[in-house]
Amino acid sequence: MDALEGLTVLDFTGHIAGPYCTKLLADMGARVIKVEAPGGDSSRRLPPFKDDDPGPERSATFQYLNTNKESVGVNLNTADSSTIVRRLVGLADLVVTASAPRQEAALGIDYATLSGYKDIPVVSITNFGHDGPYRDYRLSDTVLYAMGAEMYSHGLAQREPLKLGGTAALLQGGAMASVAAMGAVHGYETQQIGQLVEVPLFNVQVSNIDRRSASILAYRFCGRIQERAPGASAGIAGGTYPVADGYVELTASAGNYWRRFVEMIDDDVLRDPKWENPMTAFDPAAKEEADAVVYPWMLSHTRAEAWEAARGAHAMLAPLFDGVDVWKDENFRKRGLWTEIDHPALGVLPMLGRPYIFEESPWRIRSAAPMLGQHTDTVLAEAGLTTTEVVRLRKQGVVA
Amino acid sequence: MNQPLPLTGIRICDFTAVWAGQTATMYLADMGAECIKVENPYIWNPMTRAASPRINAMIAPMLPPWIGGHPPEPGPRPWNNSPAFIQVLRNKKSFTVDSRRPEGLAVVQQLIRISDIVAENLALRTLDKIGLSDDQIRAIRPDAIILHMPAFGRTGEYTEGRGYGSHIDSVAGSTVLRGYRDSAPADNTSIFAGDFWGGMHGAFALMAALRHRRRTGKGQVIEMAQVESSAHMFPQAALDAAWNGRAHGSLGNRSIEGFVPNGVFPTNKPDTWLALSCRTDREWAALVEFMGRPGWAANPALATVEGRAAVEGELEERLAEWTALQSRDEVFHALQAAGVTAGPVLNAKQAAEDPHLAATATWKRLPATEDYPEVDWLRPAYRFSKSDVDLREAPCLFGEHNAYVYRDVLGFSDDEMATLRAGGHITDTFAPEALAGG
Repeated sequence: MDALEGLTVLDFTGHIAGPYCTKLLADMGARVIKVEAPGGDSSRRLPPFKDDDPGPERSATFQYLNTNKESVGVNLNTADSSTIVRRLVGLADLVVTASAPRQEAALGIDYATLSGYKDIPVVSITNFGHDGPYRDYRLSDTVLYAMGAEMYSHGLAQREPLKLGGTAALLQGGAMASVAAMGAVHGYETQQIGQLVEVPLFNVQVSNIDRRSASILAYRFCGRIQERAPGASAGIAGGTYPVADGYVELTASAGNYWRRFVEMIDDDVLRDPKWENPMTAFDPAAKEEADAVVYPWMLSHTRAEAWEAARGAHAMLAPLFDGVDVWKDENFRKRGLWTEIDHPALGVLPMLGRPYIFEESPWRIRSAAPMLGQHTDTVLAEAGLTTTEVVRLRKQGVVA
Repeated sequence: MNQPLPLTGIRICDFTAVWAGQTATMYLADMGAECIKVENPYIWNPMTRAASPRINAMIAPMLPPWIGGHPPEPGPRPWNNSPAFIQVLRNKKSFTVDSRRPEGLAVVQQLIRISDIVAENLALRTLDKIGLSDDQIRAIRPDAIILHMPAFGRTGEYTEGRGYGSHIDSVAGSTVLRGYRDSAPADNTSIFAGDFWGGMHGAFALMAALRHRRRTGKGQVIEMAQVESSAHMFPQAALDAAWNGRAHGSLGNRSIEGFVPNGVFPTNKPDTWLALSCRTDREWAALVEFMGRPGWAANPALATVEGRAAVEGELEERLAEWTALQSRDEVFHALQAAGVTAGPVLNAKQAAEDPHLAATATWKRLPATEDYPEVDWLRPAYRFSKSDVDLREAPCLFGEHNAYVYRDVLGFSDDEMATLRAGGHITDTFAPEALAGG
């Protein structure tokens, strides 16, 4: 049995954060009914596209974020949509929304309205929450990472701060919403508690364990601010090093990891006991001396060779992979990081597979992402609308 | 707020370390699980309670604040006041035991017998070596949910790889995607995005498995290789490779969603930056209007994103000339009011003092302890309207809950506890030297 079998999620979200939250639920067996506005989720228009040919069913971003979901086309900006929303909520155990707070009520998907239909958990993903001075402010992945996360200390001192790759900050917001959603599901199923669960993306980044929450507490403890460093790398033999065919990331601070690193590169200069002194890490001359040994070793090894040596010595070194490396890696394939989707318009294509391995209740692809409105008729019939009603609503532009 | 917590009645025997593991169990503790942290007073777990047990007032300021920003006098127990680690211990309980010795292992086994979850992300085989393999755990607790969070997997070629978040990020494809467009990855700062990601996915996986157990009676083993979950943080790059054979590199601060302009621009004070995205042509038009329609920007060729993308570098330079004359916070609010997506790059102090965060009860003041001063601590990012999912209990200090765990949870008598204290299992201080040779 799938872990989330029997859980029905009504999903009013679009773009990236909300759909990632419900993807996590869907891939573990929840039934996710995705309500799409006319024209469809905006992520249908996000690159990359199959063969670089845009189209609502061709976006890899959309296909990734919406595996195992059903699509129902509803125009929430019409008066008649409230009947449909009420009936759809009747099917659900959990609702997830991601609309601007000032628009929720007009769309008829604010918590007061939804909980009036049925007392179930509603996870509301917003930019800044439902209160406070920034409530109605806009966000992008970059602005979110700038305001919430540790962008300020990421990059070089003399240059501008840097964001992460891709849309990592938005996806992190979706992941946090999935944690909140599972907590809410347990509360609902074991204690019958319906409630509003707010997940402001700003707060998700402020609580980002990648140095942000720590840098704020550090400021409160000692008054220091995490700054960008003038140059990269940390300590002796630490940071990103070039190798023969790319780069590797290395940590060889004093202690076990230093000894293993020295064993790996097998050079007597680094066996001197002075390297074991933690204070050596703060001596620039020492770093230069170590680098005179480290760089030649690195440049005479490929990424694969360096990583193999590191695994043998249990040293903390790993290669920098790009997407092609992740795709072609035999070990990842054998373990199941890659799987396939079978899509009516795209055919059979590779898809990122299981992020975790469950012994009893597997992560699995049951279906590719839905075509826009693919499930409108079946879901509305299940929700109790007659064929005549659906025909009328379709003619009026309420459903699609 | 009088409702029971969602995970009331669930107990975790917690062997997690560093960030990813300790945050995974923290989220469950937020939801009401009783999370009992197993701490060995004689083994220093690297990067789990502090960078080093010997952090002092001289060394701490030499380290970057996120890892070295202890209070100015870290005092005799720096493992209770590392900013990087103390706050991932909120809502948890800590007890001490040397599980390598038979009587210590017996204590842990007793805890596992009454635990629903055993969670770990230690170096591969660490638990097996002390007699807590999956089978041995299930012999004690047949329906246990066991979460392993290895760096590179428990099977396959990479099992022996060792890594913190920065190494895992590298293999997951994160590191090559960040950095300046004109400089090599060797200039990159080491960061730990995968720890944040892994913690959330570990928590999600555990709660899914709890639901499965509730419905079937079956526990199970979950293996979440952190590198594999982290690969999901960059699906666009992975799928462009798989579908179109294209390798992505760093875009600097440009957008993968096709927004132009999208970046981080200087403002009128040193090291003060504004992040800005024109997510639509309408946002660009609003920006042009806001700037007073300067000639370069009012060019109709720039009205569409295709037109702007064709001259992206030049456009960024002109925009930076304009932002460099603006006051960051004024232009932030004014641009938002004008319908443009923009925001300040907040440093740690500015985030700590941000008016929106203050107005929305993001922080909760906790009283001082012997190890840290009274300050504001972060509450969880999620807000439940009925359940008291919150920062309820201050982060657990080392060994703080020995009496509670040994007496109330495990049912040891005072005599038995005295024996375990004499044997060095029950202690409130980390003391590797105390057992030297013993």
